[in-house]
Amino acid sequence: MSESTQLGSQLVDLCSVLLLLSCFAIVAQRRLSACVDLFALQSFFLATTAALVAFLTGHRHIYVAAVLTVVIKVIVLPRILRKVIERLNVSRELVMNINIPAGLLICGGLVVVAFFITQPIIPLGYLLTRDSLALALAIILIGLFTMIARKKAVTQMVGFLVMENGVFLGTTAAAYGMPLIVELGVFFDVLVAGLIAGIYTHRLQDAFDSVDTSELTVLKE
Amino acid sequence: MWPVIVLLVGPVLAGLSSLVIQRARLLHAVNFTTMVALAVAETLLTRQVLADGSVTTLGTLVYVDALSDFILIIITAIGLSCSLYMWSYMDEQVARGVIAPKHLGIFFFLFHMFLFAMVAATMANSLGVQWVAVEGTTLATTFLIAFFRRKESLEAGWKYLILCSVGIALALFGVVLTYYSSVRVLGDASSALNVTELIGVADRLDPNVLKLAFLFILVGYGTKVGLVPMHTWLPDAYTEAPAPVAAMLAGVLETVAVYTVLRSKALVDQALPPQFTGNLLLTFGFVSFVVASLFILLQHNYKRLFAYSSIEHMGLAMLGFGVGGLVGTFGGLFHLLNHALAKALAFFVAGNIHRRYDSLEIDQVRGLARSQPITAVATLVAGFALIGLPPFSPFVSELLVVSALSAQNFASDTMHVGRFVAVTVSDEMRSLGLVGVFLFFGVVLFGGMMARIGAMVWGTPQDGITRGEACTVGHVPVLAMIVALVGLSVMIPESLRTLVTRAVHVIVVR
Repeated sequence: MSESTQLGSQLVDLCSVLLLLSCFAIVAQRRLSACVDLFALQSFFLATTAALVAFLTGHRHIYVAAVLTVVIKVIVLPRILRKVIERLNVSRELVMNINIPAGLLICGGLVVVAFFITQPIIPLGYLLTRDSLALALAIILIGLFTMIARKKAVTQMVGFLVMENGVFLGTTAAAYGMPLIVELGVFFDVLVAGLIAGIYTHRLQDAFDSVDTSELTVLKE
Repeated sequence: MWPVIVLLVGPVLAGLSSLVIQRARLLHAVNFTTMVALAVAETLLTRQVLADGSVTTLGTLVYVDALSDFILIIITAIGLSCSLYMWSYMDEQVARGVIAPKHLGIFFFLFHMFLFAMVAATMANSLGVQWVAVEGTTLATTFLIAFFRRKESLEAGWKYLILCSVGIALALFGVVLTYYSSVRVLGDASSALNVTELIGVADRLDPNVLKLAFLFILVGYGTKVGLVPMHTWLPDAYTEAPAPVAAMLAGVLETVAVYTVLRSKALVDQALPPQFTGNLLLTFGFVSFVVASLFILLQHNYKRLFAYSSIEHMGLAMLGFGVGGLVGTFGGLFHLLNHALAKALAFFVAGNIHRRYDSLEIDQVRGLARSQPITAVATLVAGFALIGLPPFSPFVSELLVVSALSAQNFASDTMHVGRFVAVTVSDEMRSLGLVGVFLFFGVVLFGGMMARIGAMVWGTPQDGITRGEACTVGHVPVLAMIVALVGLSVMIPESLRTLVTRAVHVIVVR
């Protein structure tokens, strides 16, 4: 392995690890606005990773994805989520389905699980981004966990977006990005999903006087 | 090429024009005309597929083979009948003040976007584009489910959005993994997700990656199919959605979701022994069937009853695909069509009952036979068809699935549901045990459904319920469905049989 690829590979790894760390920070954060900020930070790391991979491999179309990540996930979606939070009367999430220390412990376990699952398929990967695939799966699982552990509609949305970030890291790591048309479609879907969730939180707030999804118990078996 | 363009552009144009049109009558006219155009285009496309085997067009963006064409037939047929049904349903809801007249345009806009997303998902050549379209169906339908804006419908819509988005995010990871394995073989990055390319090289893809990919795809799209245990959004969504939307969700969206799973199955089966996907589908199918038939016993709301019956029927179709082989797969595919017809009929009926009785509780509905004679007959037909009685077509497809199941030889070194049933006995006993359990729960289902449907149809209507039923446009699709259900049980048209047989050969690759 040449020295420059080694350096590049280490840089990509560093960025992916920062992504994972920001996941843990989201899990440990009670304040809703801080969760959104951390998501924006995570998306920024994601864009950096993508840009790094694009630079090191010369795949130009990954730049497009990086720019779109900055626009949609660092600027637009966090702004929508912040607006939603402003309208709400709560800024902290006091009660959770799983408390923070236990949650962090579970997330640690999820990382191990992710590495275990991806072990047989890692050797197929490109040298540059080999370890990122396991990290991507870990981020997806932690995002899923966040959606289960939290009760507020906003944090559930953040959990979904974190999952999406994980998948995106996976694409960049595993295959240097998907075909452009697919990537554009995915971004469009994520954006629309964010908008729709924003509208929902308004309506839920009006109807239930709360965005606590544990209040959503009208429909029971 | 033209039929494909009509199928894709038609719903988009109709949807956009619905946003600007104000008059209700014009909205319905646009909606109906579009659906007729789609049906005609689909007929032409089917003819082309039957003649040429498959159609690849618009660059390589669109790929329609016998399998996707069969799904398109279901989409357009149910869509057309829905558009007729909505004519009377939506007008009455507006007249009663349930829906504000200005919201009617938005309803049709979302409805057509939903339709567009489903058509795109079925015709997409690239598995990635297919994913985008399937997520599009979630986004388009969530507000359709919450359209009545009551507390319950908002809750159902939110639950649907969140659960299906999570599922679909997992499916995307599955698609990424497929790409991961294919791009190494194909090299060309832009077409490495295209079904047309993948078919040729699927046996050279890395089996370990494909195993993981199929798991993610099955769990992900399985959420949309409503397989147990990812089904929890489904009964709520079907109950809260307006009747024509529920008919589309149950009849068509589930079918499209099954189709996406089948596409992956066809690929994975080339690289791995078919037992791998088969056993997964068998397990999910069996669990869904059993759990749903038990839950049917607990229902006191007729829309929820039909919703659980959807889970049960999807489980049944999955059993067919899981057993595989020509008979099982044919049964599974044919069952998708029959279920779509029967379930659309069931939800049309549910919409009629709801408008008359103003209640979704089975206890509150008495004497349908006297208050709404046509609906009562249709309710009985839907009920009989859904529990698989002759002379209705689900009987035929269920019989095919069960016979495939009983003839199944389990390879003894693999994991399968048979183990839960009989651990040490021989293969024949094992499959007999499986069929036995299956039939037992079939009987449970029969009792549960019949008791409830009988309770609604017979008896005397409560005071204050108007008696007599005037024929409206909305009755046309109801009658058409009944005719189709009976007709398909007697004979399958030759062209349809050819199409389904070819679709079977798309799925069963060896």
